[in-house]
This record gives sequence, structure tokens and C-alpha cells, in this order.
Amino acid sequence: MEWPLLVLVIAPIVAALGSLLARRRRVVEVLQCGLAGALLASAALVAERVMAAGVVSAGGFLQADALSAWLDLLLGVVGSTGTLYAVGYMGEKMDRAHLSLRRYYQFFCLFDLYLAAMLLAVNLENIATMWIAIEGSTLSGALLIGFDRSKAALEAGWKYIILSSVGIALALFGTILVYYSSEHVLGVSSEALRWSELYRVAKELDPAAIKLAFIFALIGYGTKAGIAPMHTWLPDAHAEAPTPVSAMLSANMLSLAVYAILRFKAVTDITVGPEFSGNLIIGLALLSLAISSAFFLVQRDYKRLFAYSSIEHIGIVLLGFGIGGLGVFAGAWHLMNHALAKSTAFYGAGLVFLRHNHKLLERVPGLLTQMPFAGTAILVAGIALAGLPPFGLFSSEVLIAVGAYTAKPDVAYAFLALLAFAFATLLYQILRMTLGTAEEAGVSLGRPCRIFTGVAMGINLVILGAIGLQVPPGLAPLLAAIVKIFGAETEMP
Amino acid sequence: MLPISPQIGSQMVDLGSALLLLTCFAIIAQRRLSACVDMFALQSVFLAATAVMVAFLTGIHHIYIAAALTVIIKAVVIPRILKQVVERLNVKRELEMNVNIPAGLLICGGLVMLAFFITQPIIPLGFLLTRDSLAIALAIILIGFFTMIARKKAVTQVIGFLVMENGLFLGATAAAYGMPLIVELGVFFDVLVGALIIGIYTHRLQDAFDSVDTTKFTTLKE
Repeated sequence: MEWPLLVLVIAPIVAALGSLLARRRRVVEVLQCGLAGALLASAALVAERVMAAGVVSAGGFLQADALSAWLDLLLGVVGSTGTLYAVGYMGEKMDRAHLSLRRYYQFFCLFDLYLAAMLLAVNLENIATMWIAIEGSTLSGALLIGFDRSKAALEAGWKYIILSSVGIALALFGTILVYYSSEHVLGVSSEALRWSELYRVAKELDPAAIKLAFIFALIGYGTKAGIAPMHTWLPDAHAEAPTPVSAMLSANMLSLAVYAILRFKAVTDITVGPEFSGNLIIGLALLSLAISSAFFLVQRDYKRLFAYSSIEHIGIVLLGFGIGGLGVFAGAWHLMNHALAKSTAFYGAGLVFLRHNHKLLERVPGLLTQMPFAGTAILVAGIALAGLPPFGLFSSEVLIAVGAYTAKPDVAYAFLALLAFAFATLLYQILRMTLGTAEEAGVSLGRPCRIFTGVAMGINLVILGAIGLQVPPGLAPLLAAIVKIFGAETEMP
Repeated sequence: MLPISPQIGSQMVDLGSALLLLTCFAIIAQRRLSACVDMFALQSVFLAATAVMVAFLTGIHHIYIAAALTVIIKAVVIPRILKQVVERLNVKRELEMNVNIPAGLLICGGLVMLAFFITQPIIPLGFLLTRDSLAIALAIILIGFFTMIARKKAVTQVIGFLVMENGLFLGATAAAYGMPLIVELGVFFDVLVGALIIGIYTHRLQDAFDSVDTTKFTTLKE
């Protein structure tokens, strides 16, 4: 029995119930801080166990291999800082009487359930129950996006739930098609839905059915991952959701959707070879890059700016996996670094929003002097997101470019051109916000809010900096195992 | 051992699937919103009947449970919720559409052909009893998708989504004689919660926008 894996999934559920039943604010705060600690510790322990044992399972239905453990680490770390941030952010809203105590409890109940659904999804070994957990995250996410109940928030939530529901329905059809072909090999049983069994017999599966299944899964989960042209819900949802939720959407939920696509890709690659899925993914990834970088320049809303940046980075991650080989390693690395940097950027943006109560980019210059901590977070995260050294996103982008150049030179040229454009436009916008002199005074933040959010941003930035240019030796075996899942034989850089 | 000959059984399942498809066209052709909800309920009944037929012919018992849940949730509970929403929102008037009815029906005909074309290479893999239903299932999914795009009212978008779900259920039954029970239960739970949440959303949208016409949701524009 591997208890860290169980703790990872059950802790958020316990915290959700606790928050719902709580009668005092202090109780919720303590619960959430406990949850943050539990997530951080158990994610690290799961990763360690997976590196030692290869595959760990718990409770008869949870099982984590290297890819799951990588996502556990990502969701665990960002989920943990996100929880701390949410305590500060929502607490400040309550102190300003923007939020009733009842709604405060409801928020944390939903927020924790959202985290639980995502953590459950990456640790389920069954392709269909994974779908159920992902749908669970879609539904709890929908309530969180519309949480403010303003016109804009409701509209964004509606758009999200309709598009995601369609996407997830298509993904279910893909799942059914996989089962359709696998039950001929494995028989009518839930064995035919297990990833490990699917990998084992993938060579015997029907190629036509698997190809079709992959297309449905790519479009379906791709909608949830915000890949162009199915990305239209994403900027609205990220901009209108309460900021802790924006950060979780961008860093965690998009990564989760990418994870689901990757699982299907791994099976498809064994059955029909990596060319088929690779080409589809590369096409959509380049389109995402092109669309997002074009929209950087016209953004007037700083949360939307970061939202478009998410579309860009998810595109880069998928490009890496689409290219294969070196790209698989770089894609996984990019996923982790993006989650850390993007959540930090949103944490900063949320504080700016609390202070100024609007999201207009041109009206918040001089953040570095006005709000030193939030300004620094936005600047550092922005530099990382633009792809400058000394951050991990720089090295993974270089590696993806190198991988693309050796495999498909045309893709590399397109990638580099788009990347250069995205770099210039994003950095321009970030510098506009952080430099200069402040124009509006705004409302200063309360002390508890500054402490909680400061700790959250601090943890993220420290990890982001620490894993900057070099893969820590402790994580290398995990990445090597992921590369192996995708059948690529490359030396680790 | 089948109680009746496989050919007849297969034709009965085909008939059930065809009736499902027919109700899809009826939903597209329908102008009144409450009639759309009724059609959806009828479709769910046909779906359950088809599933019971498959369960009876194959002797796989858990499909009965799924069929019973279909009747309870999709033919009774969800239509009732939708009717309440429709009444409260007072949107019984004629439906507004982005595409007129004849054109919509033509497009749906095209979608059915597309579904048969897409699934053609994988049909021979299937069980004799249900192999033709897979194409129909995909057709229903695509028509549900189209309904979501073609209709402007939030409630009809929900119906489109539920039609898609019915198509998926038929697909699962046809392709695989149903998913394992735990999966079916999970999917039902998600659909129910999804319908509830969408119901909550339509209420709040009505309060905020004084309308459920999605073309009026224009606060967010690029």
C-alpha cells in the first residue's frame, strides 16, 4: 500500500468537506494550509517512490507510472501554492465585504474538489474512469469560473461549459473506440480499459479504429487544453474567473488535458507509428502558437494576456511531444516550468487586480515600484514565459527547436519565427506593466493577504529558479522514464 | 445462445437505432422548445429500448441497469428540469435559429452520410448484432453537435449536448455491448451533474442578461 498516493487524492476531498461544514473562517484557513502541506509532501513522496519502484499503486484503483508522477508533482506543487494563494486572495475579498462567509466556504469546497478531480484523473489507470474524473474537473471548474456571478463571469462560464462539454463528449467517443478495438484482443472486461494492458497489446489493435480514436481524443481533450482552433473559451474563462482559479485553470487543467492527449498518443504511436499522431499534433501546435502570439499585441487586459500566453506554451509543449525524441523530454520539462511560471504570473496579476479593481494593462504601469512583490513576480515570471534564460522554459524551447531541426527543418523554421514574435510581443507588454511610474493609487492590501500570497509566489519562484537551467539530478530518472513511455531513445542532456 | 435468430435480432437493434436517429431529425425540425424537450425524452426511451434489446439478445445483464438509469435520468428527471427552466424563462415562443429548418435537415442528412463514411473502415470489427449502430451513434453525436451550433437559445444548446450524450451511450452499447458498469454509472453521474449545472447557469444567465438568447451574450468580445 502506497499511502502518499492515497493522501494525494483524498486530502483535497477531506479539505473540501471540511470547508463545507466549517462554521468559522479560521477553521477553513487551517484546513487549507494543511492541504497545501499535504499536497506538497505527498506529491514529492509519490515521485520518489515511482523513481524507486517504477510503478506504484494504491487502494486497488490508483496507479502511478512516471508520466502520472510527473503530473502529480506538477499538480501537487502548483495546487499547494494555489491553495495558499486562494486563502490570501479570497480572505482579502472577504475583508472588503465583497464575499459572504457562506460563499467563502463554498469557494473552498469547490476549489478543493477541482484539485481532487484533477489529481484523481492523472492517477487512474483506467482510460474510462480517467474520463469521468476529467469531466468532474470540467464541471467543478465551470462553477468556479462563474463564481463572481457578474455578467462577464457567467458568460465566460457558459462558453466554457458548452465548449468543454462538447469536447469531453468527443473524447468519450474516442475512449469508446479504443475499447471497441481493445476488447477484441483483451475480451469484454475492464482489463481492456487499462493503460498498461493497452500498451502491452497496442500492436494487435486495429489501426483504423485507433487512428479514429486518437483524432476524437485530440479534438476532445484538445478543446480542454485550449489548442487552437478550439481555444475560444480559454481567454474569457482565464480573465473572468477569480484569480486563484485562473492560475489553476492555466497551470493545472491545461496540463491535465495535455496528459490525457499524451496517454492516447502513446497507444496510437505503438499501433500505427509516431508519424500519424505527430503530424496532427504539430499542425495544431503551430496554429496555436501563431494565433496566440498574434493576439499578444492587441491585449488590453493583463489576465487575457497571460491566458493567450498559456495557449502559446501548451502549443510548445505539444510541439515537443509531436516531434518526439529530444522533444519528449523538452515537452515534459516545458510543461512543469510553464505551470510554475504561469501560476506565478497569475498570482501577481490577481494582486494587481485586488489593488486597482480593473484589468486594464495600460493603466497599471510602474508595478515594480508600486507593488514590489507582485511586480517582481510578474516581471520574473514574464521573463521566464518570454523564454529568456536563466529559466527552464528557455532550455526546453531551445531543445524543441533542436529536435525539430533534426527531424523536420520546416517545422523548426516556423517554430523559431513564431517564438521570436511571441517573445518580443509578450516582453513588450510585461515591461509596459512593470516599468515606469504608477499612475493610480488603488487600495492597499491587508497584511494576511500579503503574507499568504507572498509565500505562494515565493515558493513558486524559488522552485522555478532552482530548476532553471539544469534538470535536478533527483528528477532525471523520472524524465528518462517518461521519454521511454513514448518509445524515444535519446541521451538525457 | 440467442433466443431468436441473429439476423432478426440485428434488425431489431437497427430499428431501435434508426428510431433514435429519426427523433434527432424531429428535434431539428421542431420549433417549439417544450416539444424539443419531449422529443429528447422520447429519444431517451428509444435508447433504453434498444439497450434492453441488446441486453436481452446478448444476456449481458448490466446493460439492463444502464437502460433503467437512462429511463429514470434522461426520460424523466432531466426533461422535468428542462421543462421547469423553459417555464420559468418563458421561452416557449418560436425558436430562433442561425440556420433555417430545411437547410438544417439537409445538413443533418449530410452529417449522417459523413458518419457512415468515417466509420466504414472499422465497422467490420464489430459484433454482428450491433455493428450498424456505431455509424448511427456517430451520426447522432454529430447532429447533437450541430444542434448546439445552429440554435441560439441556451436551453436548446443543452438539448444538443444531451442528444450527443445519447449518441455516445448508443455508441458504447453498439461498439462494446456497454462499458463496464462502474464506467456507465460514472458517466450517468457526470451527465446528471452536468445537466444540473447547466440548469443553474441558465437561471443565473436569465437573471443577469434578462435573456437566454446566446447572441445577446456579448460582454466578452475580442
